[in-house]
Amino acid sequence: MAHYKLRKAEPEDVTDILRLIKELAKIVEKEDQVMLTEKDLLEDGFGEHPFYHCIVAEVPAEQQKVEGYSVIGFAMYYFTYDPWIGKLLYLEDFFVMKEYRCLGIGSEILKNLSVTALKSGCHSMHFIVAQSNEASINFYKRRGALDLSLAEGWRLFRIDKQCLLNLSAEE
Amino acid sequence: MANFILRKAEPKDVSDILRLIKELAKYEEMEEQVILTENDLLEDGFGDHPFYHCIVAEVPKEKGTNGFTVIGFAMYYFTYDPWIGKLLYLEDFYVMKEYRGFGIGSQILKELSHTAVKTRCSSMHFIVAEWNKPSIEFYKRRGASDLSLEEGWRLFKIDKQSLMKMMAEE
Repeated sequence: MAHYKLRKAEPEDVTDILRLIKELAKIVEKEDQVMLTEKDLLEDGFGEHPFYHCIVAEVPAEQQKVEGYSVIGFAMYYFTYDPWIGKLLYLEDFFVMKEYRCLGIGSEILKNLSVTALKSGCHSMHFIVAQSNEASINFYKRRGALDLSLAEGWRLFRIDKQCLLNLSAEE
Repeated sequence: MANFILRKAEPKDVSDILRLIKELAKYEEMEEQVILTENDLLEDGFGDHPFYHCIVAEVPKEKGTNGFTVIGFAMYYFTYDPWIGKLLYLEDFYVMKEYRGFGIGSQILKELSHTAVKTRCSSMHFIVAEWNKPSIEFYKRRGASDLSLEEGWRLFKIDKQSLMKMMAEE
């Protein structure tokens, strides 16, 4: 069984974080839509006001299955706010490299996030999953996740930058 | 037409913010589910690390209803998309019934758009209940796209009980 450890991401991890973000995007064939750079990740995650937090999963050099990479999984999260119940932990991205799956690393990351959520006074954890991603949906449902879109009819909307610019310029 | 101003919420606004949160929840027939207190709103919004931001809409005292001069609000915070970076997330948005039709809602959304652009957010996200046709139309008229429809996103929750269960597992 792989030895690994979970730890808070540090500034020097931004290269690996970006690599894993792109690997996850590649799975859904959207790697070209990743515009973020290491510099963005550095400023946005490790400046005075972090816009996100990361946990990384790391294996010792002698356990590497893919040469050169010791950071083999990550979870990106931040805190959101529900006006009825207060703080929530929002899980934004969650990925373990293919070569390291089924070793309990994903479960351990989720457990770590649960501890963080409860320690920070969060009421629950929220996240979105594509309805086509049955494997992830089952992973989360096995851990007690409830589909709020199904149960309560919530739909996610976006107003993109062009429309924001139009709206802010209107008389 | 109503005279009104929009401004950043201050600590003294937490009573009005909670009142409006409850009014909006009442509209959704969920008022008893609001367990947040003024103290929570104060600590969470005006401490060292604010978890939310608010804009409030205010009318002059003599135009107020039952003594209320704060007659609308929007609650938002910043989220992060791992492909494009910062986003502005609109969490709650409400104008009292008596003050609708004066363009206050549009002005609030314009203000939020300005904030989003100024803070270099790539877009604004929010959720709307699929039965809430007036709100869906309001947002679609301003260019909103339904990502749940287009991309199949579904919102999930793991509640406190399940988080505690996971925490305790070996």
